Amino acid sequence: MASRLRLWSRLTRPRAVARLVRWVSRTERVEVFPYPSTAKHTGAGSIDAAANFVAGPAQVIPAEALQWLRLGVLQCAVPGLVQRERDGDDLPAIATRELMQFENVIPLRWPSGPLEIARREKSEGFDSQIRQTLERWHDPAALEFLKGTAIDCIVISWAAGLLADAEQQRTAAPLIEAARQQNLAVVGWVDGTADHNAAIAAATAAGLTAVAIHGLHGSSGFPVITWSDRADVAWDSTAPVVAICGNVWPGVSLASGGADASAGPTGVPWLDSNGWCIQMARARLKAPLWVVFDPPAGPAVPSPQSYVKAICDSEAAGGRWVISLDDNLRSGLAAGNTAAWKDIASAASFFKDHPDWKSYRSLGLVGVISDFAGSDFDLTGEILNLMARRDLLFRVIWKSQALTQAIDQPFSGLRALVYADAKLPEPALRRKITDFVEQGGLLVAGREWGKAGTPAPPDFQTQFDVLAVGKGRLAVARNAIDDPYQLAGETQLLLSHRNDLVKIYNSPSSGCTRYTVSPDGKTALLQCLSYADGRRAGLRTIWVRDRHRATRMWTIEAPPVALEANTSEDYAGVEYHLPANATQAYLALEFERQRREA
Amino acid sequence: MNRRQFVSGLGSAGFAMIQPVRVRASAPTAPVAIAKCKSYGDEFLAATAKMFDQLGGLGRIVKGKTVTIKINLTGGETTRQDYLPQSRTIWTHPRTVGSVIHLLDKAGARRIRVVEGAWMWPASLEEFMLKAGWDPSLLLGAAPHVELVNTNLPYKGKKPYSRFTVPHGGLLFPAYDLSTAFAESDVLVSMNKIKEHGTAGVTLSIKNLFGITPATIYGNKVPKDEPAPVPYAGRTDIGHMGSRQPPTCSPAEKDPTSPRQAGYRIPRIVADLAAAAPVSLAILEGVETIAGAELPRPGTTEAISPGVLVAGTNAVTTDAVAMAVMGLDPMADRGKAPFETCDNTLRLAEELGVGTRDLGQIEVVGESIKDVVFKFREHGGPRQWRPPGGRRNA
Repeated sequence: MASRLRLWSRLTRPRAVARLVRWVSRTERVEVFPYPSTAKHTGAGSIDAAANFVAGPAQVIPAEALQWLRLGVLQCAVPGLVQRERDGDDLPAIATRELMQFENVIPLRWPSGPLEIARREKSEGFDSQIRQTLERWHDPAALEFLKGTAIDCIVISWAAGLLADAEQQRTAAPLIEAARQQNLAVVGWVDGTADHNAAIAAATAAGLTAVAIHGLHGSSGFPVITWSDRADVAWDSTAPVVAICGNVWPGVSLASGGADASAGPTGVPWLDSNGWCIQMARARLKAPLWVVFDPPAGPAVPSPQSYVKAICDSEAAGGRWVISLDDNLRSGLAAGNTAAWKDIASAASFFKDHPDWKSYRSLGLVGVISDFAGSDFDLTGEILNLMARRDLLFRVIWKSQALTQAIDQPFSGLRALVYADAKLPEPALRRKITDFVEQGGLLVAGREWGKAGTPAPPDFQTQFDVLAVGKGRLAVARNAIDDPYQLAGETQLLLSHRNDLVKIYNSPSSGCTRYTVSPDGKTALLQCLSYADGRRAGLRTIWVRDRHRATRMWTIEAPPVALEANTSEDYAGVEYHLPANATQAYLALEFERQRREA
Repeated sequence: MNRRQFVSGLGSAGFAMIQPVRVRASAPTAPVAIAKCKSYGDEFLAATAKMFDQLGGLGRIVKGKTVTIKINLTGGETTRQDYLPQSRTIWTHPRTVGSVIHLLDKAGARRIRVVEGAWMWPASLEEFMLKAGWDPSLLLGAAPHVELVNTNLPYKGKKPYSRFTVPHGGLLFPAYDLSTAFAESDVLVSMNKIKEHGTAGVTLSIKNLFGITPATIYGNKVPKDEPAPVPYAGRTDIGHMGSRQPPTCSPAEKDPTSPRQAGYRIPRIVADLAAAAPVSLAILEGVETIAGAELPRPGTTEAISPGVLVAGTNAVTTDAVAMAVMGLDPMADRGKAPFETCDNTLRLAEELGVGTRDLGQIEVVGESIKDVVFKFREHGGPRQWRPPGGRRNA
């Protein structure tokens, strides 16, 4: 183990990575996917050098060749990896590349075959058409529509502890082989009461790229993606990909006040989004995050734009949806009707082309500190959810990270902190938080925090006692916090809209806006989502407080366009008037920042 | 009897016993000033100062008084007509408010309050303005002793609400519980844009009063017996549709069997309020506004620049002139533009004795109507009238 740790340590050193890139580039033909961002992600080398990687047919490394990778982080292989035996080369180039490969894989759920039929047969609404579709998707020819798209991974049903498992694995061989020929990674999804070891053994024999198993951590001798529900994610997992289930289908679900979502000013849409959870997870996980959810069951067929929104909702927050199609769409695709698929493929391709955006950090002014476990997860998670819906930009701070970072690091750039965990933080963290307040910050905390300071009541009715402490303020709940909606709203008011960074006009059912900055501070990115379906809106305007050198707008459908900043004599900040044809569901403004901002 | 006694109902209750509800013949008149104005800066300041002089001077109305300016910030703060800020299309413009505050101060107003029932807003008006992209310092710095009050919240102090009885018994409610800020006011100024309205036909100075009803009492989801601590939602249930009554602590409707139609109810509530809380100075701004409705609606509304101001000391006479400036007939009854699906609010207010809508009885000073008329109905797309059920009919 010690030697492996040393190896990993060497791999992550910039100089070692640079050597790795040189080592790779001296090879005449390296059978890997091109991955221009590899060097960027490792923090060293150059994009040009990494771009010298040459595409080639997919090959899967035999499991035994990966035994030494059982360190965990490096335990998964993807297509394009080749087994290379080079005596004397102590730098396992493939390991680093494969680690990075999963960062940008686009997975598509691929329900098909006997196992899926056996499972679906028990569900309501199963009919001959669904059976036929599941059969046709088991046919290698069904992969045809993926050619030329950004989808480079299919997630097939592999084992569920049913009798059909064995037949599924036997009959999937042609599909797996065809996928391999198409340079597609194949991940086997294992759930239910399936025997994990048997599933892994079968996957090894069948040449799968990886398996995805619920809650399996540590070494297995085979690449394993771990999946779990939101509440029981193993945050310290070293799996190459962590998949989180239990998510919602993003969109407008209902309106508060009983009015429908399109009822004009009286209708306040209620948004379903996974963005908050993805942001929370991304703040902790080093591995890529896959977000797992299916289209809503029922007679209503999701529109292509709904799928685009589902992709955008995950991507904007830093995750990647395991694209899952409804029965109708899959049936149509099996019959060769790819019209509805084009929008989905375009959205997937768009985000595959911007992998660096996932490394950007939040510019939010509110830090939410928690250990996000147990009942604290329930409460603080909902606080994040409701902050996201009201576009109160936040930054997730895991307690463990706040403790280990330098004194001024965890809270730098923040104006407010929210601490709603039932248990008080360790003295060291409490000291850090108290320092933050005394230096001018705002802390919104549960009653357990205690009250010390001079009363400084705000000008609105609040569930908090607000006290002046040093240069800052402490807002302590009078009673147990049981209304995250109220907490999110009052935090926004206590912070004051004077500190707003972004306002979006004429974007119905918008929310979950992400405003982030690149690691080098030179680029800011504002990603705006609208969850409305078919509601007419006027021309849109985006206001931002900061002035930037240059701005361009990215949309899924069109090349980026430069936007001109407009100033108003009565208002601070600058406004960007979006073109009339700008996409409704998603757009991103990329700002070149002023020097002082960087 | 002074105004405070009057609006507190001491006088009106007795008055109601001896007067019939329909008192059109006795509706008072007052001069109305019209000015051309193309911009919100110095031109607006000069134009309004001149109009106030034409109306007999501001000092006689406000000197030594507490003046309350009811502005209009209707609808959501993120909805715009095209790219234009709301203050150029649907809201009172902050620079016009700043100018009027300046003039009120110059005329000797003792205290100036800017009020609005900020939309579904649990906090101060200042914070709402910040959320909406306004700079409140434009208002707060325009004169000493300026306050901002969100009248959707309980007024701070021992008495959050005061009862305003409607003369002649009222059309829909006999009385309304409003923020005590209004009871502390000597002079009520209504200040908003000249607009059409999807339910009430027009939004002018008396329609602006619909927003003085606190959503803590007249909003959706309020408790059964007492006001809500903060506004939860709009006024659809109680105001528009009459699907429920206000909390039992406040006066209930006179006739719960009356039509449950917004086009019947809203004009009556507005007329009631115009009688119970009379406007002493109406300032209607049409420098820039929208045609088609009170809020932006793609395909229906259009940003327009009539470049006109209308002001008067009687809200109904002012509104009548403003309607004429809009190319509309203030004498029109239900079924005719702009009251296709509603009752004429001006008629109802006139019948309550607030003021006359008969242009033949109103002295117009400054510009003449024919020189500034701007026909709203020639702009925008097809009007979308709200049917009795409250929803638009496409």
